[in-house]
Amino acid sequence: MNHFALTIIGRDHPGIVARVTKVLFDLGCNIADSSCTILGGQFAMILIISHPRFSTRESFGTAFEPIEQDGLSVFLRTLQAGGEAAPQLPGELCLISVYGSDKPGIVYPVVKELGDRQINITDLNTQLVGSPERPVYVMMIEAILPPGIPLEKLAEVMAQLKDRLQVDISVRDITPVEL
Amino acid sequence: MAVRKILCYPDPLLKMVCEPVAELNQACDTLAQDLLDTMLASGHSVGVAAPQIGVSQRMVVVDVSNSKLGRNNNHGQLVMINPEILEQSGQKSMREGCMSVPDYTGNVVRAEEILVQFLDRRGDQQAIRATGFEAVAIQHELDHLDGLLFLDRVSSLKTDLFRRKKR
Repeated sequence: MNHFALTIIGRDHPGIVARVTKVLFDLGCNIADSSCTILGGQFAMILIISHPRFSTRESFGTAFEPIEQDGLSVFLRTLQAGGEAAPQLPGELCLISVYGSDKPGIVYPVVKELGDRQINITDLNTQLVGSPERPVYVMMIEAILPPGIPLEKLAEVMAQLKDRLQVDISVRDITPVEL
Repeated sequence: MAVRKILCYPDPLLKMVCEPVAELNQACDTLAQDLLDTMLASGHSVGVAAPQIGVSQRMVVVDVSNSKLGRNNNHGQLVMINPEILEQSGQKSMREGCMSVPDYTGNVVRAEEILVQFLDRRGDQQAIRATGFEAVAIQHELDHLDGLLFLDRVSSLKTDLFRRKKR
């Protein structure tokens, strides 16, 4: 069965999820993984969907047009075979908190250090908080440390960044406890 | 003595409220041993509740003494029959997973310290004060006796510490 990635974003208001999922329900689509959240004033939906008979984007026809007329942007992408399955990455899950007075150039230097070391980011979100006069930037990163990189090593790298970027950074193990 | 298969959701037994153990007989002792054997055999496990191996009775085993988080603060291997939490205080959040719910983890807030009363394997009344990881593990296992999974207690989606704050 083919899978598709569906992204929908638009000005937040109650009813968006119901509006979108009704279309999917009426088409007979399955929703597998999905993540929907408010970003700024926008509501963003990302869904992995499938349909027993649909194999290309064309199969959906004009089903999303009414949603677009409501002011939501719709993007549909056909996944290659296997693209719906999550990779099983070995390693310890860690959380990196980065926060400080808002200024340009916080995200890239931090994630570059991770990318350079093949540390896979599994979740990342950023948010501007604090007052308009004193905005504070907060970034939370969940990442999987490959077996060769201990948490202490990552903490060391982040400590150096902390001085360079003038932000606070902390790193901790959040490997789930299996009970 | 036997290693038993761990039931996974959606097995209906995992959502049932378990019956109290009425009498400490041979069957009861065998169940305790099976729980311990199963916990040991599953390597990383720090606890198993009777419903997880298909027995709807109020009995759990917990042992955090071999885990990194519980090594320095524990009561060793515990067999808890008809356990009851009498007091709880504090808050502790951990990312929990469960052998009966593979591939999913979630942040759960539980009491940091508990006073729990139970019958041990010999039928003696016990009360212990557990803290930290051991307290979390006990609360997780005791939830199984009431048909509750950690999924019923997830407190936040992923890492959204700041997300609920209105700007």
